[in-house]
Amino acid sequence: MNWITTLFALCKRELQLFASGKTFLMLSIGLPLTAFLLFVVIFREGVPRELPVAVLDQDNSPLSRKLTRMIDATPTAHVAFNLTDMIEGERMMKMGEIDAIITLPEGMERDIYRTDQVNVTAYINGLNLTKNGLLNKDIQTTVTTFSSGIQIQTLMKKGLSEKEAYDQMMPIYFEKHVLFNPYINYTYYLLPSFLPLMLMMFILLTTVFSLGVELKNGTAGEWLAAANGNTLLAITGKLLPYTVIFFTLYIAMNTVLYKFIGVPLQGSAAFLFGSGLLFVLASQAVGLFLITLLSNMRLALSIGGGYSVLAFTFSGLTFPFMAMDGYMQAVSYIFPFTYYIEIFIDQAMRGAPVLYSLPYAGYMSLFLLLPLLTLRRLKTICTHPIYWGRL
Amino acid sequence: MKKERFQVKYHEFISVLRSEYRNIFTDGGVLLVVVGAILFYTTAYALAYKNEVLQDIPIAVVDQSHTAASRQFARSLDATPNLRVSYKPSDLTEAEDLFMQRKINGIVVIPADYEKKLMRTEKINVVIYADASYFLMYRQVFFDVMGSITTSGSDIEFQRLSQKGAGAQVAKTVTNPVTITAKNMYNPYGGYATFIMPAIIMIIIQQTLLIGIGMVGGTWRELGLYKKLLPTGETRLSVLPIVLGKSVAYLSVYAITLSYVLGLHYTVFGYPMNGSASNIIQFLTPYLLSCIFLGIALSTLFKRRENSLLFMLFTSIPFLMLSGASIPVESMPKWLYEAGKVIPSSSGVNGFIRIQTMGATLTEVMSFLVNLWVLTVLYFLLACAGMYRLLRKQATETES
Repeated sequence: MNWITTLFALCKRELQLFASGKTFLMLSIGLPLTAFLLFVVIFREGVPRELPVAVLDQDNSPLSRKLTRMIDATPTAHVAFNLTDMIEGERMMKMGEIDAIITLPEGMERDIYRTDQVNVTAYINGLNLTKNGLLNKDIQTTVTTFSSGIQIQTLMKKGLSEKEAYDQMMPIYFEKHVLFNPYINYTYYLLPSFLPLMLMMFILLTTVFSLGVELKNGTAGEWLAAANGNTLLAITGKLLPYTVIFFTLYIAMNTVLYKFIGVPLQGSAAFLFGSGLLFVLASQAVGLFLITLLSNMRLALSIGGGYSVLAFTFSGLTFPFMAMDGYMQAVSYIFPFTYYIEIFIDQAMRGAPVLYSLPYAGYMSLFLLLPLLTLRRLKTICTHPIYWGRL
Repeated sequence: MKKERFQVKYHEFISVLRSEYRNIFTDGGVLLVVVGAILFYTTAYALAYKNEVLQDIPIAVVDQSHTAASRQFARSLDATPNLRVSYKPSDLTEAEDLFMQRKINGIVVIPADYEKKLMRTEKINVVIYADASYFLMYRQVFFDVMGSITTSGSDIEFQRLSQKGAGAQVAKTVTNPVTITAKNMYNPYGGYATFIMPAIIMIIIQQTLLIGIGMVGGTWRELGLYKKLLPTGETRLSVLPIVLGKSVAYLSVYAITLSYVLGLHYTVFGYPMNGSASNIIQFLTPYLLSCIFLGIALSTLFKRRENSLLFMLFTSIPFLMLSGASIPVESMPKWLYEAGKVIPSSSGVNGFIRIQTMGATLTEVMSFLVNLWVLTVLYFLLACAGMYRLLRKQATETES
């Protein structure tokens, strides 16, 4: 039972270090909460509505005005300007006042009545993919609906009944099922992903800092002595308080997400939260591995920081792995975040049976082995003062 | 008298400039942030996003009809640039399993009566399951399946009308009285890198400056080096040579690294370069200056070498979002976007994308340019004030 008393003493020592300055408090509680609030506020509005667009109506007829009104009535687009020429439209797009220009050709109404085909062109800003996707979909759907209305009238004039006209018009009807994110609300997947990403960044920095500061101040020897020279016990005593802090933060953040913001949680909450704990531990393991290997706090902080920033890019959430080259896909496996995101998608969004997520939890637990590889080096750097006092 | 004082100040300026260069190039940590990080991140992101668009997304077709017509329809899905029919499971349960294993990203179910209804001119019901848990994939799967169905539908309708004796032109018009052509401006293929890289580059510039300058400041503070800068006797305008000396050092280093990024890097990865060199320089000058002055102002707050990294790193992603380049401005509260304009990157990202990608003139980005100059002046004053406060503090510490 001796080791329990030692562990207790180590945790107490760590808490004293924690209380010795404001840095620890900021890193493990203050800044994570700030980041959390900031992200919640940024994503509060969810799907953008009423994006400003302009119409260049060269026909100015009842039919062209009807199409303009239909575009204005879509949830995404709001016809904010009527243009007189294209140059003005392009200037407005460059200045950011509009996101799309829809041109209705001259003679549109005349051609429709003459049953000549009419082409409407939409110029949509391609530099914000989210807005572009929403506008593309709504404008195309609106013009197709408008076209169908005309078609039905034409067919009915030719003597078809309304039902016959409909069947004739849309031979293939499609029934769309949006799986797993029925509101297509990206808050539901970006917010629950950015929060653990931030958490990972702070866990890495805190872990590197908590050991780095012992090396920098030359107290690493005292720390190891307090654990009676048992490195494994020393690590546990050092990291356990932060595991508790960060996992508490994880639970608090996710409770807010699922309970109050309305992010769906379709699958097993227990498995998701268990993976959250594993994620916290894996991030700590990576941090410990880095500082032990480099034995230089500043370098370990730079590399750890860079690593956590890159984790998002390689998680495949916004830009899918599938589109990356093979060697770049391989890079994504070095981040515990990648696996956590797969589990999150499975459990929160898809409600997949736990069995499908189990392999990812397995890969994530491999990160826990990293500090074991450097256990001997840890002992060396903690006992040899030549590793101490570096900036 | 006046000339003499200027000379003294000039010498102080030169010595600060020299010492800052020494700090940047002899301190591995600072060099890694100020030069290394820019080269590393721009390359890493560029390689990750190299392929710009996603092609051949695997989907499954559950063909319950097993007829020539349904196979034709499946082939038309496979022929689209973005989709690949990689599995033909026998039922929906099997398809769902493939889905959960992440082998496919969409399911299309062709009903058993597909061909029969096709012959009888009745309506056919095709079911699509598209996954919206990954946004980009959802968009492409959905657009392509829908597009393919509309084309197949129009083809069938066209044939039916032709069979009834309508001429080709009439049949075409009746099928589609109004067509829509959607063109993506400035990014014709909807490439991901074209969309995000300019914003990321601007953010990297700002963040490395804030962290790098803060690291030098923190180190000086930790080692008590600021005492060396204490002016002897003369106190008027004492901080001016310090702030300017530091700024010129960073400005010159970034001028070189940015020439590489905006020149060779841009060319190698083929990003749009529609801005003239003169417009870019005129825009980036206040951007760099406002970032540098903000960096100096913040650096006076850091007591230790590692503090700037610990406290500033996490802001990278929120700052990118606040600029409105990655997520739409319209989807965040307006007050937050307005408040975010105190960060140089908010104007920097927007203005730079407009000049370099869209080919906007300086007049068209005037609001961002003006904002950057306002921030430059504001942060210059803050940098001077912060430096003044710090030197005074060090002076009293030395006395006591």
